[in-house]
Amino acid sequence: MVDRPLDEAELVERARRGDLEAWETLVRTYQGIAFRTAYLLAGNAADAEEAAQDGFVKAHRALGRFRRGAALKPWLLRIVANEARNRRRSATRRERLALRAAGEDRPGDAVPSPEAALLARESHEQLLAAVERLSEEHRDAVACRYFLELSEEETAAALGIRKGTVKSRLSRALAQLRESLGEEDA
Amino acid sequence: MSTLEQRLHELGRELAFPPEPDLVPRMRERVHGRPFPWRAVAVAFAVVVLAVAAAFAVPQARSAILRWFHLGGATVERVETLPPASERSLTRDLGRPLPLAEAERRIGFDLVLPPLDHKPARAYVIGDSVATVLLRSHGKTVLLSQFLSVGDETMLKKLSVNATVIEPVDVRGDPGLWLEGAPHVLAWIDRSTGYRERPVKIRGNVLLWVHGGLTLRLEGRLSKAQAVELARTIR
Repeated sequence: MVDRPLDEAELVERARRGDLEAWETLVRTYQGIAFRTAYLLAGNAADAEEAAQDGFVKAHRALGRFRRGAALKPWLLRIVANEARNRRRSATRRERLALRAAGEDRPGDAVPSPEAALLARESHEQLLAAVERLSEEHRDAVACRYFLELSEEETAAALGIRKGTVKSRLSRALAQLRESLGEEDA
Repeated sequence: MSTLEQRLHELGRELAFPPEPDLVPRMRERVHGRPFPWRAVAVAFAVVVLAVAAAFAVPQARSAILRWFHLGGATVERVETLPPASERSLTRDLGRPLPLAEAERRIGFDLVLPPLDHKPARAYVIGDSVATVLLRSHGKTVLLSQFLSVGDETMLKKLSVNATVIEPVDVRGDPGLWLEGAPHVLAWIDRSTGYRERPVKIRGNVLLWVHGGLTLRLEGRLSKAQAVELARTIR
């Protein structure tokens, strides 16, 4: 009988011993970020769902190899992102990223004036277009680090590169975005 | 954090992501060991290794399966005769050579290796599923191949004739099989299009075992005792 929520390490340990319910709890915890990561890397929703699905199945099979005490999220993202990159579509077949529909506010958002909302949307659209013009490796780094708000370590895991490479790619991507937007320190 | 970085964070929160799917129900089916829907899943090449003991004085009857063994993601079948195969040396046609870290990224897990002063610089990868490294053990070159086992699905298939000795072995508590006594043949399965045999004959002995969700395979001219001794150090 458990009278408190199990922490991640306990859930992993139970899942390693064959407790499928524990593994399902972990999947529910991370399926959102896993799917969004796969979506940004694979370029469309169907491939992203498949990549996330296969990633979680592979991760379950490999749980015995997961290092005790390590963070689960980067490990899972690495497996899912690998599946997603293997399904990556050509640039012409990628679904273009889009902004949420106007008026679709997030819970807790302050309601801006119509004029401010319009300006903010224009600014977002400009920036998104500039991100779409980046090279694939720079766009991936920006997507993981800023859009998904992954840490540098998690970004490195998801992209299968070193943390230092994440830093250098982000630095170059930011410089290109500033140039593209015609801003000195945007 | 610069203004641009803040704007990128804000932009991420404004992106229209597709609705988040619930992955649990389908994953539950697959993890419970139902047949894996390879054809429904556009997986790139995944690999099945087919090891066949070659016999040279063979009865005429073809392909009859006499007996089979199942171990992790592997099946070993005894047959009366073997499919045709071209011969390859131990270190050829192993897959695409990649730096070790890149190979691990592609197959999605860290390779298990014996304790080494220096890790192998590269691994050979086929279909982003199987990775092989070259090791030296007991003065001989040995291949270590590994891939994730998926349910009870047969990923590695071996055919052997009666000239091949097949014995169960224990690798530090993990079950294994030892195959010795005749040349073998390797073939690949393309999971996205179904079975696709491309047999290649090799002449090493083979130790096959499972460990921590992986199916592993050692190939070389080691004795059974030497192979098991090496396998026990692979973690």
